[in-house]
Amino acid sequence: MVVWARIRKDFPVLNQLYEGKSLIYFDSACMALKPVQVWEAMEYYYKYLGACGGAGRSTHSLGVETSQLTEEARVKIASFINARSQNEIIWTRNATEGMNIIAATLPIEKDQNIVTTSLEHHSGMLPFFKKCQEVGCELRLVDAKPDGTFDAADFEEKIDDKTKIVSFVHASNLTGTIAPLEDVVKISHEHGAWVVSDEAQFAPHNKLDVKKLDVDFSVLSIHKACGPTGIGALYGKYELLEQLDMFLVGGDVIEDVVYENGKITPKYLPPPHKFEAGLQNYGGMMGAGAAIDYLQKIGMENVHNREQSFSKRLLEGILELEKFEVLGPLDYKQRAALVSFRPKSDVMNHNDVTEYFNDMIPHHKILMRSGNMCVHPFQYQIGINPGKGEGITRASLYIYNTMDEVEIFLTELENFAKALD
Amino acid sequence: MSEFKERNIECVMTILKEKNPATTKEIMAMRDLFPELCAGCSSGGDVILAGKQLVEDGIVERKWTSEGFAWKLLKVTE
Repeated sequence: MVVWARIRKDFPVLNQLYEGKSLIYFDSACMALKPVQVWEAMEYYYKYLGACGGAGRSTHSLGVETSQLTEEARVKIASFINARSQNEIIWTRNATEGMNIIAATLPIEKDQNIVTTSLEHHSGMLPFFKKCQEVGCELRLVDAKPDGTFDAADFEEKIDDKTKIVSFVHASNLTGTIAPLEDVVKISHEHGAWVVSDEAQFAPHNKLDVKKLDVDFSVLSIHKACGPTGIGALYGKYELLEQLDMFLVGGDVIEDVVYENGKITPKYLPPPHKFEAGLQNYGGMMGAGAAIDYLQKIGMENVHNREQSFSKRLLEGILELEKFEVLGPLDYKQRAALVSFRPKSDVMNHNDVTEYFNDMIPHHKILMRSGNMCVHPFQYQIGINPGKGEGITRASLYIYNTMDEVEIFLTELENFAKALD
Repeated sequence: MSEFKERNIECVMTILKEKNPATTKEIMAMRDLFPELCAGCSSGGDVILAGKQLVEDGIVERKWTSEGFAWKLLKVTE
């Protein structure tokens, strides 16, 4: 049994008064807070190791331990998402970098196409937009439905035998929608297309099984899973990673650079090292491993169940007030632990909502995010105009939140709603 | 201070010189009048940060109203 009160104590940031007020952190979809175990793992590296790791770079004791601990962390990531092997895990800075690696190294011809959706984070869409601009291939968009859900038939219409890859968000950072990834993978594979899933918002909150889903690539932001900033992972089926071109080149990605007759001939390492050029974020990798250990110890099913109870109450409570438009599906079981909303009345800017909760309520600071969450196309689709400064406020929760915090938020939201009359 | 942040501060100041006080919503709507100064403020977060900096510097006052926050320029500087 998980003692959630004990979990919360692992996050010192929540156990302080900030400007004399208690913090209620509802911005985990942007950045999850870090438990003490994660920064202890990083501190160990910086305090007692501090050396180079990587593919056989430094063979002294500190180098060996650094390499060993970072490779152990890679194994933990592989196990966390049920990859076949740690060689299918590439360290990145974040999910964005993972998407850029795939788009940049993807072998694609001018007469082929890439399919994505209107609900993608810009990071899941723009790298492929850029690729199509460069190559001359076609970028096809599947529109999410107005409630942020998808119809598999819409994918059947867009995906054909010329589709090289489908980029699809598993859990939306805007609407919270949990998307039908299995269906999209099945349709894509019937046409020989690859699928890359954006797991930035799904993997930190649910059990992700890339083998069962049969997804070809997945990108993760470990900073959203209690890990350090600036560390992420890219999963790819090994045989597909082998087919991708090099991304960055330089040190640590080569077996040899032969120099003969005035010409160089590089021989590159196989995956995953071929994608990890230069010295890496070793402290971050160790912190990532500790974050995965931390979540695994809690159990992803426990994480999911707790967050579903938050989602249910949060969604019900906001809708009951009848003053706010909620983006995304209204069934809590179809969504992640986040709710994006905006006042139905057009009386104030969305940034005022966030600022009100940050500064104006007694005893607490409720920290949320306002804006467009890097998902502009879907907002244009449903009539929210980012170009005119329109947007939403997002409350996103995680393992360290409590139902008491949800109730405090809903009480304060009710008070706030009175200002809208 | 970064050039980007300076430009956002100038954006808010310029708008408040035109309309003082102005709500956040009014400021957002008026950004289109100064496209070069206010180009980086699409979701509005940058405007809020610039406004808060001006409040901290004692140049602008922020008050909560029924139409959200109203921002008032206290000192007009060149």
